[in-house]
Amino acid sequence: MNLHHVRGALASSHRFGPQARHQLALWLLLTPFLAGAFLLIGLPALITFGLAFTRYDAISPPVWNGLQNFATIFQRDLFWIAVRHSLLFAATAAPLQVLGAMMLALLLHPPRRGAKLYRAAVYLSSVLPDVAYALIWLWLFNPLYGPINLLLGSAGLPQPAWLVDPATALPALVIMAALRVGEGMLLLIAARQAIPGAYFQAAMLDGAGRWQSFRYLTLPLLTPWLLLLLVRDVVLGAHGAFTPVYIMTGGGPGYATTLLPFLIYEEAFGHLRIGQAAAMMTVMFTAIGLLVGVVYRWANRLAYDDDL
Amino acid sequence: MWARVTLVALIMVVLAACAPVAPPPVAHKAQETILFLISGDPTDEAAYRTLADAFMATAPTVQVDLLNIPSGGDFRRRLAADFAAGAPPDIFLINYRRYGPYLAAGAIEAVEPYLARSTQLAREDFYPQALDAFTWRGTLQCMPQNMSSPVIYYNRDLFAAAGLADPAADWAWADFLATAQALTRDLDGDNEIDQYGLGIEPALVRAAPFIWMNGGEVVDDPVGPARLTLDSAASRAALQWFVELQTVHGVVPDAVAEAAESSESRFLNGRLAMIMESRRATPEFRAIDGFDWDVAPLPQGATRASILHSDAYCMAAASRHQDAAWRFIEFANTREGQSILARIGRTVPSRIDLAEAPVFLDPQARPVNSRAFVDAIPEIRTFPAMTTWFDIESAVEAELEQAFYGQLSLDEAIRNAEARSAEFFQ
Amino acid sequence: MTMTSRHTVEAPASVLTAPAAERPHKRTGAWRRRGRRLLWQMLALSVAALFLTPLLWMVVASLQPVGLPPARTLGWFPQGVAWSNYSEIFRIIPLARQLGNSLWVSSVGAAVTLLTASWAGFAMAQMAPPVRRRLVALALLLLLTPASAVWLPRYLLFSAAGLIDTYTALVAPALMGTKSLFVLMYYWSFRRVSLELFEAARLEGAGVWASWRHIALPLVGPTTLAVLVLSFSHYWSDFVDPLLFLKSAQRFTVAVGLRMLQQMDVTNWPLLLAGVVIMVAPVLLLYALLQVMLRGDAHFWRRTLRNGVGGENAQEGSPPAELSG
Repeated sequence: MNLHHVRGALASSHRFGPQARHQLALWLLLTPFLAGAFLLIGLPALITFGLAFTRYDAISPPVWNGLQNFATIFQRDLFWIAVRHSLLFAATAAPLQVLGAMMLALLLHPPRRGAKLYRAAVYLSSVLPDVAYALIWLWLFNPLYGPINLLLGSAGLPQPAWLVDPATALPALVIMAALRVGEGMLLLIAARQAIPGAYFQAAMLDGAGRWQSFRYLTLPLLTPWLLLLLVRDVVLGAHGAFTPVYIMTGGGPGYATTLLPFLIYEEAFGHLRIGQAAAMMTVMFTAIGLLVGVVYRWANRLAYDDDL
Repeated sequence: MWARVTLVALIMVVLAACAPVAPPPVAHKAQETILFLISGDPTDEAAYRTLADAFMATAPTVQVDLLNIPSGGDFRRRLAADFAAGAPPDIFLINYRRYGPYLAAGAIEAVEPYLARSTQLAREDFYPQALDAFTWRGTLQCMPQNMSSPVIYYNRDLFAAAGLADPAADWAWADFLATAQALTRDLDGDNEIDQYGLGIEPALVRAAPFIWMNGGEVVDDPVGPARLTLDSAASRAALQWFVELQTVHGVVPDAVAEAAESSESRFLNGRLAMIMESRRATPEFRAIDGFDWDVAPLPQGATRASILHSDAYCMAAASRHQDAAWRFIEFANTREGQSILARIGRTVPSRIDLAEAPVFLDPQARPVNSRAFVDAIPEIRTFPAMTTWFDIESAVEAELEQAFYGQLSLDEAIRNAEARSAEFFQ
Repeated sequence: MTMTSRHTVEAPASVLTAPAAERPHKRTGAWRRRGRRLLWQMLALSVAALFLTPLLWMVVASLQPVGLPPARTLGWFPQGVAWSNYSEIFRIIPLARQLGNSLWVSSVGAAVTLLTASWAGFAMAQMAPPVRRRLVALALLLLLTPASAVWLPRYLLFSAAGLIDTYTALVAPALMGTKSLFVLMYYWSFRRVSLELFEAARLEGAGVWASWRHIALPLVGPTTLAVLVLSFSHYWSDFVDPLLFLKSAQRFTVAVGLRMLQQMDVTNWPLLLAGVVIMVAPVLLLYALLQVMLRGDAHFWRRTLRNGVGGENAQEGSPPAELSG
């Protein structure tokens, strides 16, 4: 479609003069973005899809093997373990992130003294580089010397082994992820402040209490944003956990923190089973695509603003 | 506003302009540069740098760039990615248990013809077990540098303080356990163990010698294996003894203690009495000045057994400097080359004429009992030669680790290991 | 909408569990308001402290002396303060070089991003509605593509193009504006600027380039600043790309350098965390700078996302005069 437009603009440039030339110039400005999107995301996605049907070790040329890769990965319990962990991670971390972001936004949205500083404090943990964040938490979660367990110990509470124990390793990663809510909070503060105060005044005059005005005014107006955040966190959550997993646990203990992106990375770059890795990616892509599609349709029905 | 933005952008560009761009390699009248990839700690890196420098002194036209990727996992991924990019290192040093995937992909340039042509090296100079470990379908693939095996490094001062004699050459499993128990101590009475008796990795490569000593087997057929045999009575009993060192006797740090401080670090700091390690640990331990240490052979079971630890120099098939690479490998494996690493303590030489030589058995250098490595050579066995062996070992390791730390029952671990490794036996 | 109305009307919704608002007596109302504000301050302060504590612990741990087993008690500096860790770290790994490399990569990445993202946003803002809507959908879709899904094929593409072990491979995403979020940020900002302005410029004979450079860009300074900071810290923080694409140790960036340090000695916490502090510091400084220069984050975000709810807040924002100020 884009190409069609460019060609159309080109063909008409001499006939229609400045208007068409203007269009052409606009498309030229868009070219780096569109080319980049194609080269860095579109084409790689196509390559992945193609490789999923081959046996390929990156050294000898790929050999077509039909659906063999899919049959292999579906029989592999490690694949299902990774799928299960990824779903578990997304299903716990994402809602916690959205809920946390909303509660923080509701707390910190009034422009009171110090509010900006408090927001900045919350936002800080979201802007830390992934590697730094992972290493900091590796220290915090250290079962013997880490501040968290020392704190729990001094309060007389049980001290979990965190990343060392298969039962608590994934929850530990969820906790880490759930505390990175800065972006979501800022977005929701913006959305919350965009609700005209007159609405609340009117609601109050009608005798609505705080809970009612939250339930029937704030929440519905924030819903599209909450939904957007939820989708983002679900889709990108497991991916975002790659660096922590890589730095902190290596997928262990056992396979307790083996998430899909880590397994794919290991298959491709650790074991040179690129065809199978591509098959896993195809499955992941498809699942995400379905999810986004469903949410998109649902959001379309909800949305009353088409001027995005 | 816009002015300030411009200012910031300007500052960034100026800073960026000052940033170092990768410099040309150190001036050296080299015509050919070869990249040599290893994985080890800083002492390893220093040892191989010494070797590379010695080589460059004899071959001024070749520049050896040494690259060390400390973590074994990262090294493996890096190597795979390099092959995938078609830009592999010219030479990489790798264990025989891990070179399978590259072999299967045809990424290795076999050294057999180079060795056959060599005027400086001959097959007969090397231990056959080491050569066999790197032989695939009758062709020698890589040039093994060492003939190491695990031993028990022990802190002599802690032994003396506990009134224990140095381990006997023929000590048995029971002696070993009793020693470890006597050395596992809560020194300050706070109900937490401050000094552990033993450090041992929960890995198949550590457990295998005990399985063999107990008359068990790891796989059903050492040549053409079809499955793991960890569930046979003898294998299972050995594994149970191995796991119980931690779960029942508590002489090995548990998962939490190990995560807080590694066994190796505890040994270095004098808070762990014995550690099962190969020769690899020697250079680092030589830097210890707080206490005296030595090595003892593995405690024996029904029979004696040990396992080969051998790394080899492999050449990449896609390398464009194979001749220069071979010249380096050739030098590294001459008497002179292997002497350098043996003197630093890094290797048990794969050259027969060096293993008995003073450069390795140097009585002035620790460990005093280096002979333990040589004495073990007749008992050394290897894992089967399979391109998928590393997958199998990883699958077993993930389960064994959980059993060792009491997170999974041994039988469940064995069942999982069998199930998850099955696909790699085809 | 005035400040006072915001306080009295909107604040209550922030404390979810508080009892329903009623119309109180004037004097008790003042007291109650003061009490409520105090409660809010305490609550907000403890939340902020909760989020800052990890950073504080990081700094404290980075100053513990090396070589001693870490303390088993929660004290500030039970074993003294070791400032020398911060010089030692530069000795152990080539941190200065790695910082320089990161600075270079991040600056180039941010500069290119500024161009491509603003071009794309500028062009999108002037497209006809159906095209525009499709482009926005495309940008949102790209936003939802996890990078892990394209590591492998990108690696194969880059190696085919001979880009492995070059910084080009690291900053390649800048071609598409790094993240399509940045394109969208520009798009939203330009949509806010009256399109007639561009129209007028065009009628007076100004080309697209000139109107981008002289009219559009100067009007969206805050967006530019935000995109620069966000994209700079994106490249500064990037771990997986340098891990995959860089081969020579002398090209490593800080993120990969820290990983190397971690592998060398996992239990040497003070040095490792000193490295982390050094890596984190520039990012925090940049965000502080952004915060100061934009004076009021939420305000800025609100403008960027002006079409959030309803859309009538468009008239609420101030005229372009403030934007360019």
